[in-house]
Amino acid sequence: MIGAKRKTIAAERIAGVIGNDFVTIHETDALLTSVDAWPLSLAKIRAGELIPFADIVAYPHNVEEVSQILAICSELEIPVTPVGGGAGSCGGIIPVYGGLHLDLKRMNRIIGIDHDSMVVRVEAGVVGIDLEEHVNRFGYTTGHTPTSLRASNVGGFLATRSGGSMSSLYGKIEDMTLGLQVVIPDGSIIECKAVPRHSVGPDLKQVFIGSEGTLGVITEATLQLFPIPEERRFRSMCFPDITSGLDAIRSIFRAGIRPSVVRLYDETDTAMSIAPHFEVDDESCMLLLAFDGSRERVALDEQQSANICQAHGAQDYGDGPSRRWWEHRYDMYYPSKFLTSGYSIADTIDVVATYDRLERVYWSMKEAMESEGAIVLCHFSHMYLHGGSMYMIFFSSQPDAESLWSTYERIWHAGIEACHKEGGVMSHQHGVGLTRSTYTEDELGSSFHVLKMIKQALDPKGIMNPGKLGMGVQK
Amino acid sequence: MDSEQYADQIRLCASCPKLCRHVCPTFSAWRSNAPTPHGRAILLHYEAVGARNLDDRAVEVIYQCLQCSHCLTWCIPEVDIASIVEMTRERLVSEDRYPSGLDRLKQSVDANHNPFGEPHGTRTSWYVTEGGEVTRIVYFTGCTASYREQSIAVATVELLRSIGYQVLVLDDEWCCGSPLLRTGFVPDALVQAEHNVEVLNSIDAEAIVATCPGCYKTLVKDYPEHGLSIRIPVRHISDLLDEKLSALDESDFSEVITYHDPCHLGRHSGVYDAPREVIRKISGVEVSEMKRNRENATCCGNGAGLRTLFPDAAKRIGSSRIQDAKDVGARVLVTSCPFCKNMLKGQADESLDVFDLPEFVLGMTQRLNQKDE
Repeated sequence: MIGAKRKTIAAERIAGVIGNDFVTIHETDALLTSVDAWPLSLAKIRAGELIPFADIVAYPHNVEEVSQILAICSELEIPVTPVGGGAGSCGGIIPVYGGLHLDLKRMNRIIGIDHDSMVVRVEAGVVGIDLEEHVNRFGYTTGHTPTSLRASNVGGFLATRSGGSMSSLYGKIEDMTLGLQVVIPDGSIIECKAVPRHSVGPDLKQVFIGSEGTLGVITEATLQLFPIPEERRFRSMCFPDITSGLDAIRSIFRAGIRPSVVRLYDETDTAMSIAPHFEVDDESCMLLLAFDGSRERVALDEQQSANICQAHGAQDYGDGPSRRWWEHRYDMYYPSKFLTSGYSIADTIDVVATYDRLERVYWSMKEAMESEGAIVLCHFSHMYLHGGSMYMIFFSSQPDAESLWSTYERIWHAGIEACHKEGGVMSHQHGVGLTRSTYTEDELGSSFHVLKMIKQALDPKGIMNPGKLGMGVQK
Repeated sequence: MDSEQYADQIRLCASCPKLCRHVCPTFSAWRSNAPTPHGRAILLHYEAVGARNLDDRAVEVIYQCLQCSHCLTWCIPEVDIASIVEMTRERLVSEDRYPSGLDRLKQSVDANHNPFGEPHGTRTSWYVTEGGEVTRIVYFTGCTASYREQSIAVATVELLRSIGYQVLVLDDEWCCGSPLLRTGFVPDALVQAEHNVEVLNSIDAEAIVATCPGCYKTLVKDYPEHGLSIRIPVRHISDLLDEKLSALDESDFSEVITYHDPCHLGRHSGVYDAPREVIRKISGVEVSEMKRNRENATCCGNGAGLRTLFPDAAKRIGSSRIQDAKDVGARVLVTSCPFCKNMLKGQADESLDVFDLPEFVLGMTQRLNQKDE
């Protein structure tokens, strides 16, 4: 926390910029602004623990206001944690050192669609589903469909390098972003022009995409659009094991096919997610596929993919399981009595690796996490030509809060350590936040030094989201 | 809802990654995490487990809810935040911790039997008696149509007479009690309710018809929940007009018409088709649906005391709904609730005409008659 005097001065000066109605020091607002979708936060709330909250919450309406607020906070050396939809799963918006929560939800203008270039310019506070529904009216899709779509904001997508369930075809947010506007800590407004490609030095917008509010505040972006596909088809294939399933996925991509959805469930996840609705053999692994495009193209892709799968020993389940997943893809994220009773927690470690390491990372993480008493299930998703990600989902229930918090930490530690040992990268799309912050240096190795130098240059006072990305830990 | 169910519901909602927040009208109005289903549930959960009491701001957040139940449409675990909010408000009122901005509303209903501070004696000032019809029907006018939207009341009576009813409008009709029930003043609401039940049960009529879905829901659902029953069937005007479709003439309207589902009629009473059928029949035009419609319809912003306490936010919600209508190219917006009409009309400009259902039906009928002449 920043002390009563500085808090009063900062709140008054910020109110001078954006008006009294849009600054608050009420504990209730500050507390609720800190609540994201991090399973540990939600478990602590269930257990009656207050989570860290900011001293002040401000709701700017435009980039000029953000600029002036950051200049004030720089001058007063007040920590600033930007917050978008508050839908992240890693605690990235938790203001561990108090200060200002800069809530961007009022910056929710969809500035316009350029139909010639098929791009949309949008402010950071637009909710994902509002953007998708807006562009749908003009025959487009963003192609960005994270499970958090109803709550997460464009700024959050960018700050965490997020990915949607159809990233195999449409890409992740870093692929979709043509232009970016950022305010850096001294209040300067930085524009990265919207172009499909360029060769004028490094692509500076990529410095900020994934920076999780540690280098500045993302205020606006220009994003790609795609025509709504003429057809979306589904196909499901059941494999005897994950090895044959991964081989088939690799072969599909090598054949030049780009499915929009590729999800291979390990035997535990197949038993839990598929078996309640479809008859599947024990120890089998279900692959869910979807194809977007013209009728002729998707028919061809689907048939060719089915042939490849069957050549790898798969049993054809038609469109049923895949279509059902698509139609119910948000359902499993609703809390259940089982998962919220007592001292229980379920979380996901999403990691990524090239094909040569992917299965080893899986087995190593599974063994390490299970050795800490976790129930572990996994699906491989967000697959690409050269590799892909996997969702290591775990569940633990303990007799008391302290046991749960320590078990949770041990499971995470075991999982990340195993991932690194086998050459995986510790996050594909969820970001770092608090769960992975202390592992960032290990993950980046010698390049962490570069990240720290960039931080030092842009944010010499260390005011931006301190404690995240392994940087800015305050004494 | 018993205490165990209550604890389960707020714990479930507090654990959710905000899967309904995008449809919450108060989230849209304030663009903050606080006035949302999830925000309310977290505050109530903290209170329930003894971690943090509701402070004044938390009480305000509980009153920044329209009880529109839109969140429930999107909630697979079926957490009923509207009911939880209503229960909490009742408790806050009993502890004398409600916002003082509600005092005038409460005192007005107690003293004048309407929330607008109008004298009770003028409640039926719009009404002109006329005899000659055959079947007696009571029109429970409600406070909004009696004092603020009298054209709806006048149109309703004229319409009912035109299809053969002898319409009774009661001088001693009092506020149905809905504004007090939604804001937590249950004992005061029951004073109104008991009076109305006594009056309505003393009348010989085929049915009671209401144009206000708030009155309709209160008479049909809340009264029985409080042990009060009305002998005569209570019907909403949309249902009655739907039944009498053959008595309505069909016009040949050429404008784009959209329909706004009132929360109390749609989500709370399950009436979606009847008003649409009436509009289709009388205008010859299919309703052009807004982006969010039927059980997924956005609230107009006028309910549960929000406009009394937070008028600017309520109007922002109403304006947003008007924009939804414009987005589908509508020239005419029909609703079936005087309270919704009052809000929506107030936020519309000259490019969009807003009517309550009886006004629209009567207008179409008159248009047809003029053509015939």
